[in-house]
Amino acid sequence: MAASSPRAPATATDVEPALPPPRAAKAPRGAVADLAAGRGFAPLVAVAALATVAIYLFVSAPAPLPAQAGGRPAGATISVARLFDILNNENRVARASWTADVVGAGKAAGLAFAENWHESAVEAGPLPALFLRETAGYLEEHGHGLGLFLGSAYPINTANRFAGSQVEHAAALQATGEPQYFFEPTLGRHTAMFADVAVVDACVTCHNEHPDSPKRDWQRGDMMGATTWMYPDGEVSIDTALRLVGILRAGFRATYERYLDKAAGFAVPPVIGAQWPRDGRFLPTAEVFMAEHARRAAPTLEALIRETTEAP
Amino acid sequence: MKPKTRRRIGFAAGASAALAMLLVLGSDAGARLHAAGPANTGHGDLACASCHVAAPGSMRQQVQAVVGRWLGTRASDVDVGFRDVENPVCVSCHERADDRHPVARFLEPRFAEQRAALAPQQCVSCHAEHRGARVTRSDVGFCRHCHQELALADDPLEVSHAALVADGQWDTCLRCHDFHGNHEYVAPARLADAPTVDLVRRYLRGGASPYPGPVRVPARTPGSPLKDK
Repeated sequence: MAASSPRAPATATDVEPALPPPRAAKAPRGAVADLAAGRGFAPLVAVAALATVAIYLFVSAPAPLPAQAGGRPAGATISVARLFDILNNENRVARASWTADVVGAGKAAGLAFAENWHESAVEAGPLPALFLRETAGYLEEHGHGLGLFLGSAYPINTANRFAGSQVEHAAALQATGEPQYFFEPTLGRHTAMFADVAVVDACVTCHNEHPDSPKRDWQRGDMMGATTWMYPDGEVSIDTALRLVGILRAGFRATYERYLDKAAGFAVPPVIGAQWPRDGRFLPTAEVFMAEHARRAAPTLEALIRETTEAP
Repeated sequence: MKPKTRRRIGFAAGASAALAMLLVLGSDAGARLHAAGPANTGHGDLACASCHVAAPGSMRQQVQAVVGRWLGTRASDVDVGFRDVENPVCVSCHERADDRHPVARFLEPRFAEQRAALAPQQCVSCHAEHRGARVTRSDVGFCRHCHQELALADDPLEVSHAALVADGQWDTCLRCHDFHGNHEYVAPARLADAPTVDLVRRYLRGGASPYPGPVRVPARTPGSPLKDK
């Protein structure tokens, strides 16, 4: 490294700054002169273009597009929690009808219900959990983001065991008996969990006797699992809520009709008409099944809607 | 020929070629030429519009919405040009009531880890379109993400499911189990009687089905009446 030679610090007085080389004198310029000479035109064009775009997009534009999702609905609305209450009431009624009046009474009348009911060689209908699963599948295509799931802390199939946030919410549901409403941030979905209770002895018997059941001391009235509902919006219009009820009912009907189609092909098909399995080897038509559903769901549905519309 | 004339002829030829190309690409027959790639298995005869549907509104409204979103005057996004091709588009033809693994099921909160690993809640995570294949996920052992605890009390296999899991033989699952359950097929009790993993891989790439039974619910043809309507 070269040694630096000592020298006194320079001061402002002993160092003359080098002057820039002399420039040619310029004529005074103004905006008009610049434009006349073709200078400074670009900023003007840019401003004019932006103004044109703004007018095109906001001043003379057609009506803005409605929100595809996530926007606040117009008109009277209800919270998504109330929507879940209404839908869960529908599901509770349909599951009870299916479980007690079709599966329970049907077994006594000689009809079979099995996990593999879809297989062509199997003469059976869907078990209660599968009835819900098939309805949930219908919502996948028709439900506008509405999701329905069934799980448990003690499922027969381990893949149906709660995990993550559902574990603590299921525990709170078990402890309090109160539905759990929460927002699932990873999915951006409003969520609710409701108790799924053993409503008839058949639920208890099947789960206690199934070889893969991890719990064998179920009793009638126990919370065996939970239904989970999900929906993207925190608030929905009354129209949307009623439409979703209609879609859910269409899902029940579609699932029931699939069972009727299967049953019609049994070696000894049940009589499909106005009677129910409690009368023998009968099945109600889809119209009869859904009319009974509407009758049973009506009081709670009407009360929930009345509470909503009369709330201050 | 003067340079100016030559330049004009060049411009005219270029403009004509560009116009002709636009007309060809914009026609129904030419649409395939600007597809992102070869259609997946079974989709070769579909029109582009079967999946690619125009987004709502005029282009002007869509641009207006996008700029509004940038400026913070609009809360929600909009599709521009065409709607995103999402699950409902796929399910409108492939809806099956007894699908063993319907994609919507993976939206349940408890599948957070699986969503992070596989995104199974979206059809295109396994069936990315325009790849000329049936399944675009190359790993056939993805079942491990959900079925690590599988154990059956009355296991019908000569080698138990629990033993297969313990041995990490995840490439055996699809040999006996069609993922969506859309083939008439009773799983064999002996692995030796099941299709080989090579046959399964070939099927996923677009080859013939290794499962002996017929398809249970064929895909709906776009334009035919919807089921359950």
